[in-house]
Amino acid sequence: MTLSSQEAAENLSQAEEAGRRSKQVYFYRQSSPHLIIWGIIWVIGYGGTGLYPLYANPLWAGLVLIGCASSVVLGRCTKPDGTTGGPYPWRVAGLMAIIIFFVFATYAILQPHSGRQLAAYPALITGVAYVAVGLWTGPRYVVSGMVVAALTLIGFFYIGPIFLWFAVVGGGSMILTGLWFRTV
Amino acid sequence: MEQPDSIIHQPVRLKIMAALKPLPPDDPLEFVRLKAIVGATEGNLGAHITTLEEAGYVCVQKDFVAKRPRTRVAITPQGRRAFDAYVDYLREIIGSTATS
Repeated sequence: MTLSSQEAAENLSQAEEAGRRSKQVYFYRQSSPHLIIWGIIWVIGYGGTGLYPLYANPLWAGLVLIGCASSVVLGRCTKPDGTTGGPYPWRVAGLMAIIIFFVFATYAILQPHSGRQLAAYPALITGVAYVAVGLWTGPRYVVSGMVVAALTLIGFFYIGPIFLWFAVVGGGSMILTGLWFRTV
Repeated sequence: MEQPDSIIHQPVRLKIMAALKPLPPDDPLEFVRLKAIVGATEGNLGAHITTLEEAGYVCVQKDFVAKRPRTRVAITPQGRRAFDAYVDYLREIIGSTATS
């Protein structure tokens, strides 16, 4: 049994494609609990801000801490050699830190003057981040990012009770996205 | 040039091995997901998995989740080595043609 160069290249290409799809499915599956947790955080955070605006700052500080800690714990993965840990949890923590820094740096420069702006900006950044991640990892992330960004803009420009909008529609769409990722 | 591994050489089995290779050993892939990745029918996929299992290249775990049967497949260390050797073999052919 001998293979021509063309047959070998075709076999290798098929193997690489199967490996790529497998990694994509694995990434969706690993992402799912992160999205569900952050969706729940959005529901509680935006809902609580809408109902009790005076407590918004401590509420969000606590929720963001819980969310980041949860993401780092969930990010603990097993490497192909069977050992756990690795750089992934710290990449997740680094990503969180960068996003939080970026959001507050933008606030410091542009100085938003309404609660609507404060609320909409992190949601918009979240949508953009999902689209960016999706360009490397898979189309479902692109779709979910575009949905979150579109809902954010609709809420900002057309919806009166914006915090409740983000809680129900934004948080709900993240939870549904997380569940959608589990169906791959 | 040595002969290719005849077990992995079959196209569906090659795809199965390629799909399982990137995954952590303690996180097997569910049969339904593997079926979607490989694009084989249920019977065909099951037969090829049996062949790979008999060769010691994959291990199959069967259990129940919410009273529904679940089959999961993972690559073994032996299967990982065999797949790497097969990929090296393919690259060798491509490389030797390119340099000749």
